[in-house]
Amino acid sequence: MAEICCGVVSESDTSSNPCEQSSRAARRRRMEIRRYKFVSGVASPPENAEKRKKVEACTTSVSRDLDNALECSGSSDEEKVVASLKIAAKCRPSTSSNIPEAFSEFPKYGLASVCGRRRDMEDAVSIHPSFCRRSRETDGKLHYFGVYDGHGCSHVATRCRERLHELVRDEVESMEEWRTAMERSFVRMDKEVVAWSEGGGGVSHCRCELQTPESDAVGSTAVVAVVTPDKIVVANCGDSRAVLCRNGKAFPLSVDHKPDRPDELKRIEEAGGRVIYWDGPRVLGVLAMSRAIGDNYLKPYVSCEPEVTITDRTAEDECLILASDGLWDVVSNDTACGVARMCLRGKRLAAAEAETDGSSSSDRACSDASMLLTKLALARHSTDNVSVVVVNLRRNTCP
Amino acid sequence: MASRDREQSKCCFKEWMELQEQDLSELLQALKLDPQNKDQLKHLAEKGICHFQDYINKRTQLARRDVSAFFAPTWCTSWENSLLWIAGCRPSLFFRLVYVLGGSKMESKLSEFLQDTREGSLGEVLTCSQLVVVNSLQSKTIREEERLTGELAALQEDIADQPIAMIAKGLSQLGEMNREVEEALDEHGQAMVRILEEADQLRLNTVKELVNILTPLQAVDFLVASKKLHLCVHKWGRNRDQKLGRENLED
Repeated sequence: MAEICCGVVSESDTSSNPCEQSSRAARRRRMEIRRYKFVSGVASPPENAEKRKKVEACTTSVSRDLDNALECSGSSDEEKVVASLKIAAKCRPSTSSNIPEAFSEFPKYGLASVCGRRRDMEDAVSIHPSFCRRSRETDGKLHYFGVYDGHGCSHVATRCRERLHELVRDEVESMEEWRTAMERSFVRMDKEVVAWSEGGGGVSHCRCELQTPESDAVGSTAVVAVVTPDKIVVANCGDSRAVLCRNGKAFPLSVDHKPDRPDELKRIEEAGGRVIYWDGPRVLGVLAMSRAIGDNYLKPYVSCEPEVTITDRTAEDECLILASDGLWDVVSNDTACGVARMCLRGKRLAAAEAETDGSSSSDRACSDASMLLTKLALARHSTDNVSVVVVNLRRNTCP
Repeated sequence: MASRDREQSKCCFKEWMELQEQDLSELLQALKLDPQNKDQLKHLAEKGICHFQDYINKRTQLARRDVSAFFAPTWCTSWENSLLWIAGCRPSLFFRLVYVLGGSKMESKLSEFLQDTREGSLGEVLTCSQLVVVNSLQSKTIREEERLTGELAALQEDIADQPIAMIAKGLSQLGEMNREVEEALDEHGQAMVRILEEADQLRLNTVKELVNILTPLQAVDFLVASKKLHLCVHKWGRNRDQKLGRENLED
């Protein structure tokens, strides 16, 4: 689907019908290999100490890694799992009732990441609220959201999850210009994974065990959003996607890097590479995307340079959705926004148990939204890993 | 003697298929008459799992005498046999079934949800927390499945190694049976029984855990779908075999 859409994606969403109808064909064309991992979290500012205690009590033994987190919730006990959904939250008390400030400290987000119909999980997600502060923007913190969809093996996506936010922080703190900062961090990330896998990478538990030549044919997409008090900065490399839901409409903040995108095709051919249709358009007949972190053997045709968009936040912004192609292959931007905003508007699911205090209901809504989108992708027979992050951008959702 | 074992193994399978048909009609009856009766649904789901456990126990006993019969059962159709993973279905297949069952209900409700006409209706499919736990169980199950697959591979490779390959090489008369041969084959067979037991246990545990995660209604729905599928695969396979003129050993 994404292959077909990429030429069309522009200001607004692509029309949803061709996307959704051609998904089956697109899935057949796609051949990437994946591995499992599950991360989920909701950062929330607990409104009172008692609640904070409750959350902490439930989750003390639970790590950010939902693989572990969920093993301890093998029952169908809803409450327990709800608690585990909050595990990633760094629960800090908030005394502020100032709303923009509350967001700047505690973004409301939810995420879901499932193996789905694949046997390997190669998606990775990383979320770092308040991950850095720029000197000239003293009144607001920056939040980091990243989705990485690995191919060949899981280790590049895993490395991105562990490292890319640190590199972005380094660059952002020392650089005024967003675009350059993002580009430089992606290049550094790419160099690191290449050096890391060439050097054996230390201990690796991934499928390829970092053996060359296999480990050379491993890479990952990266879609990163840095949310500041007044901007959304998105850097994208590959076919994961960021979509802004503004006033009920979907605005893609990234354009998928597909080998048949006219400008990408031109870039590849000018670099001496070729796009060969082998089960869909592929760089050198191998990789079904034109940019990625890693994939050393396909350089320079496959580039790690991200495309960066900087969007001013408005009062009409509802949410930001970051997801891997496991979602976008079967759910259009419009549908995804529709589902997310319904969840955020408080029309919560019947099964989403009533929660009395409003402070966390919004985080809960983000979680519901990301989960619901994931379920929709599975329902529409997505054959890939599915990872979805939903960030609430409303400035007036706090009580 | 040996043919009596095989006859018993075949009976064991036939009884299991008949029992599944009975269980299936009971489950369907319950869904039709009293789908709100959680206790009854729960009871029926547990009963179905007990029957599965009984079958596994029985066939383990039989496998100890003749394990290879279960890896390539003459009482199954060739299509069924082409789908076997360690003498049964892949445990990871249960997750596909859970996803497809949940998915079939979701699409019809999506537009209502988006139009806000029936608030909360999407909650009837797999809940968020269920998905989280199912995903985690799926990862665990696939890891185990891969481990057993690797063990089976090793056992199959063992045939071309000490002692079996060298015994074969040393025989002056092709296919000759002697004590050394019998012992080597028996020992290999015992390892195959162990892997069969582990695979059966993984299948059973996966169903058990899934049924625990699902609500009683979802669980019964899941069991109905899996039993129907199993019975259909058997009957479709037989139909195909007959059409292709393959002798049907079961009848």
